[in-house]
Amino acid sequence: MTPYSEHSAAARGLAACHICGKVQDHTAGHCRRCHSRLHLRTPQSLQRTLALTLAAAVLYIPANTLPIMVVQGIGGDESSTILSGVVTFWQMHAYPVAIIIFTASVVIPILKLIAIISLCIAAVRPTNPRRAMKVYRFTEIVGRWSMVDVFVVAILVAVVQFGSLMAIRPGPAAVAFAGVVVLTMIAAMSFDPRLIWDKAHQHSLKTQNHV
Amino acid sequence: MEPQHLIACHDCDALFQFDELAEGERIVCPHCDARLLTNRPHSTQRAAAFAIGAACLLAVANFFPFISLEASGQTNVISLVQSVTALKTNGSPWLAVSVAFFILIAPALMILGSLYLLLPVMSGKRPPGADWVCRAMYGANQWNMVEVFVIGVLVSLLKLTKLATVVLGISFWAFLALMLCLTASFASIDKHELWDLLERNHES
Repeated sequence: MTPYSEHSAAARGLAACHICGKVQDHTAGHCRRCHSRLHLRTPQSLQRTLALTLAAAVLYIPANTLPIMVVQGIGGDESSTILSGVVTFWQMHAYPVAIIIFTASVVIPILKLIAIISLCIAAVRPTNPRRAMKVYRFTEIVGRWSMVDVFVVAILVAVVQFGSLMAIRPGPAAVAFAGVVVLTMIAAMSFDPRLIWDKAHQHSLKTQNHV
Repeated sequence: MEPQHLIACHDCDALFQFDELAEGERIVCPHCDARLLTNRPHSTQRAAAFAIGAACLLAVANFFPFISLEASGQTNVISLVQSVTALKTNGSPWLAVSVAFFILIAPALMILGSLYLLLPVMSGKRPPGADWVCRAMYGANQWNMVEVFVIGVLVSLLKLTKLATVVLGISFWAFLALMLCLTASFASIDKHELWDLLERNHES
């Protein structure tokens, strides 16, 4: 019995190229259409995904505690964090904007970290693979939308430059936050969802043998 | 078994054979519902047309003012590129490099790559270095954040309106249209279909 499901390409020694999708014998080593490396499964997928997710989780702390931008004016400097920006919009009664920023900058990054970790768990402990696929597709789609706050900082820094009267500078949290988004995106790209199906298949084989 | 008609699901690795797809037909993985392949009508022509449109709009977006801000008698006009370079001059070079990649370099690579591949492919040719260009193009697609930047502009407008008068320039509208053209171009042609076309032209 192979560790791969009988429906799968891997069970027949066939691999779909990571780059162009061509199905071919994996022992060739390189894709005969686009010459990239062939693997049955992405090598070290879980280790890479977990390492990147961990790094993103660590960076998430300075991203939320340090100032994302500093407003310099006659009355002195005033720094704002991601959360204080949300609070300002809320106090201005701009509820939809406050909700959009809160979702993009706080809820989505946390949900994404949890989602990636739960996918890694699903690749080790068998779960319902169809449900896990929904989580996987969520992490793929949602990834880059968290970058909104970084772009807002970029635009404000460019536009609000009135000399000593008022000027906006980017804070350290902007870089940290961009780092969180980039790392979680690479983590999601490194994850091989086929591992979840392999695990579910191996589990069903084991339960069949017991009966 | 004709190897061209063999496909493995990228999400669950289910393997199956299929016959040549009719126009408008698509294959969905029976195990995990992933969309695997779609044969869209006039895919290369459409993708190329939208890519040409996107190329023109990218040029417009770079040569006209993006946003202008008027406060206490002073007016600041910035271009799209200045929204990137201002980050560097204000002490965040790494942020400048990444923002430049997400909103300018990645879309430019996508547009140039698709024109370089699609125009020869339409007349049955295969340009030199097609493998490498196709790979780079889909790589850039993963990091393209044009639509996220548009939302960023709208959010910053709301932050700015309490401070000053904000006017969106021609460049902003071009950038908005660029977003639509680029999305339409990449939605017109299936990744597998483009690789198949490149391969077929190689053989002939």
